[in-house]
Amino acid sequence: MFKELDPILHSQLRLAVMSLLISVKEAEFIFIKDKTNATAGNLSVQIQKLKEVSYIDVTKQFVNNYPQTTCKITSIGIAAFEAYVKALQEYLVVKKL
Amino acid sequence: MTDEQPINEQESLRLITEMIQKAKASHFHENGTGAILWGSVVGFCGLMSFIEDYFKLNINFDWWILTLVAIIPQIFISIREKRNRIVKTDMQMAIDAVWMVFGISIFAVVIYIKVIPESSARLFASNGITLFQKDANDLIEPFKPFALSGSSLLMIIYAFPTLVTGLARRFKPMIYGAIACYIFFIISLYTSTKFDNLLSGLAGIGNWLIPGLILRNHYKKGKGC
Repeated sequence: MFKELDPILHSQLRLAVMSLLISVKEAEFIFIKDKTNATAGNLSVQIQKLKEVSYIDVTKQFVNNYPQTTCKITSIGIAAFEAYVKALQEYLVVKKL
Repeated sequence: MTDEQPINEQESLRLITEMIQKAKASHFHENGTGAILWGSVVGFCGLMSFIEDYFKLNINFDWWILTLVAIIPQIFISIREKRNRIVKTDMQMAIDAVWMVFGISIFAVVIYIKVIPESSARLFASNGITLFQKDANDLIEPFKPFALSGSSLLMIIYAFPTLVTGLARRFKPMIYGAIACYIFFIISLYTSTKFDNLLSGLAGIGNWLIPGLILRNHYKKGKGC
């Protein structure tokens, strides 16, 4: 029986954001936007969704009068990402067979 | 990239790999300003000191003082680099910690070199000994000996890995242990060598034993869960 793929992660932009954040300690919004080539509006929405399920922490502050948004993956997010990758591997192994 | 595009399992895996590669590629973002600054300053000071000494020029200026002046632009460079950093990685934090502790160690060695002659003369004086030297013109003047204190230097080395690990792992007992080690180092500059073993022992306890026991405690608690 296959584990169901986490619907929060099984979407292109949210998965890209999580894959970036799993590789770093924390990243600013502009970095994620640059690496994913997403629009600011769309990225904001997806980051909010990840934040709502506690997969990431979002810190907003002003630096030199400019808003700065920093994202960091949480331990819940790491566990969810690992489970997602494991489930994905199971799918791919069965498809090969 | 939009969120509405449907993806299959292979595409998911490819996307994960691609993003991890992109994140890794961003790890090196420093422009090398700090390295260029210190390479230039140390290179210049070394060459000028050599030229002055080799050609017996009487400039009468300690070129190495410029390395202390270079700390000022380095502070501004560090602040600017930190401000411009849009991604923070564990590796970057570890590298930052290594360079920071390297800077502290160099500073500690400079203090050692400057303090030891004065301290040695004072300790000799406390035993009723005053040293003099006679120069080529038979002029006699007080002599400040440089009594090597190996334990002091070792304490700087003791603190290095502990502080790097403490900063990189954000483990406070190691940070405090290394600070204790630096305090014992400073004390050792002003005390006679008979106290060096005591200070080295205390440095070992503060620097390794106590953080090690706390680590062991954390480990046991983690294993018990």
